[in-house]
Amino acid sequence: MGNLKVIYTDVNGETRSFDDVEEGANLMETAKRHGVEGIFGDCGGGCACATCHVYVEGKWFETVGPPDDIEYAMLDMVTDVLKDNSRLGCQIKMKAELDGIEVTVAPTSGM
Amino acid sequence: MATQAGADTNGQKVSERLPLSAEEAALLAGATLTDRAIQAHPRAYFAAMRKGDPIHHDKGLNSWLVTRHEDILAVQSDPVTFSVNKGYHEIQARGMHDEFRNYLREHGGGYFPDAIMSDPPYHTRIRKLMENAFTAHRVKELEPRITAVVRDLIAAVADKGHCDAVKDISVPITIRIIVEQLGLDPDIEDKISRWSVAVTAQIGAMQSREQMLENAAQIADLQNYIIGKMKERETDPREDMISDLVHASVTNADGTVEKLTFEEAVSLVRATLIAGNDTTATAIGNLFYVLVTKPGMAELLESIVDDDRKLNRFVEEHMRNEPPVRALSRMCTKETVVNGTTIPEGAHMLLVYASGNDDETVFPDPRKFDIERLNLGRHVGFGGGQHRCIGLALARMEVKVAAREIVRQLKDIKLAIPESEIQYTPTVATHTIESLPITYAKR
Repeated sequence: MGNLKVIYTDVNGETRSFDDVEEGANLMETAKRHGVEGIFGDCGGGCACATCHVYVEGKWFETVGPPDDIEYAMLDMVTDVLKDNSRLGCQIKMKAELDGIEVTVAPTSGM
Repeated sequence: MATQAGADTNGQKVSERLPLSAEEAALLAGATLTDRAIQAHPRAYFAAMRKGDPIHHDKGLNSWLVTRHEDILAVQSDPVTFSVNKGYHEIQARGMHDEFRNYLREHGGGYFPDAIMSDPPYHTRIRKLMENAFTAHRVKELEPRITAVVRDLIAAVADKGHCDAVKDISVPITIRIIVEQLGLDPDIEDKISRWSVAVTAQIGAMQSREQMLENAAQIADLQNYIIGKMKERETDPREDMISDLVHASVTNADGTVEKLTFEEAVSLVRATLIAGNDTTATAIGNLFYVLVTKPGMAELLESIVDDDRKLNRFVEEHMRNEPPVRALSRMCTKETVVNGTTIPEGAHMLLVYASGNDDETVFPDPRKFDIERLNLGRHVGFGGGQHRCIGLALARMEVKVAAREIVRQLKDIKLAIPESEIQYTPTVATHTIESLPITYAKR
């Protein structure tokens, strides 16, 4: 058990906070462990699908930084729900600087 | 379909069925996916199902075909009710299970059920073990090596002005890459193609007894070969995927660690060698097919080939437009209503990805090849849910590099036979061109 905090707003708009996240855990795995709605992580964290898409809120996006080219290529497949603060949860690993990070689960790409 | 037409007696949403024309109704009543003509050109059959009977019982195949995008997603999201383990192993050597299994026990070192074709929670830990080998970042590191393989294979035929795009380019590309990655001997490349066909045929639901036994003999040969290689790596590990699998261990939910059994490891080496190989070769063969048959495709590819973002989108739209794996199996483990249709316990089902990718309500004008779609990643060409293709990043990379090298080395590519003479492999699972003679000029 870790002691870092993550705040998720799920795909239904419900906000939940977890303060037992370990350093190194990624935001996809953490969401799945706690059953956060809208995070699937089909590819298992390989940056090869876009089913753990989150928006990193406010100042936290600066700390997290933008996606690399490989991650952007996946985000670009869900263009209809892509935003400037889009990231894949599986590519964000928890560390002390991210303690308290707030993310919102992106809606599923649709029509 | 997005339109909600009502609810069934349990209050579940049931989406709209549209009235069929006489022609469509006749097609649904008479057609079956076991018919080779339908297998080769199934779009009208799929479209009629999507329109009026979206979860249709194909009597010839005795299987429920799930054809709408939304229903494919719903079935995939419940891997316990809709079992891959039972669906896959039931269709394997269908009607001849015992003979198939006994043959492999006698001649092929054992019958090894596919560990990855299983259900949670077992599947979850097996899959976890395989995932690190296939991440997009790891695959990116392979790009220079994949490029060298593809460049050499195309260069070898570029001067001739003609070749078989499937047999001379597509199949050798994927075989050479997986042989290198697994750490196998280059001189078995010829055999791998036969082994791949044999493994795929077992789930194709189209074999006579004689064909099943011929294919089983190939699978026995395959297993004996990989068992030999695995035993070598047990004592002498190297930097290759066989060594990784032979020495792999899995961590259980309670934190205990256990090694894969030898039987599990054999099945995973076999799956790694075969599963992504035949299907990716099919995707590259189908790329040549669209380049020579679909107007404007060659020009489109040429115009975007140096734009990495657009090339990625081209590859993804190709996976939607011509998914190499067009349908995979599930078995319904308890009577379940899916979108108003009752699926009996024990029924075999096919998730028809090729139909989901043509669902007009998700992909407007689905026969248009459009790399600007806003929901490209929504296609089900790689399946979805917990069983989503594990090798998808590698497959994308191989198709992308092939697309790039085709344009850089060849021009004026034309089909050398009438389109009506193109033969497809007899199987319900993939949409695979067996041979594609082409002509071209060297660039």
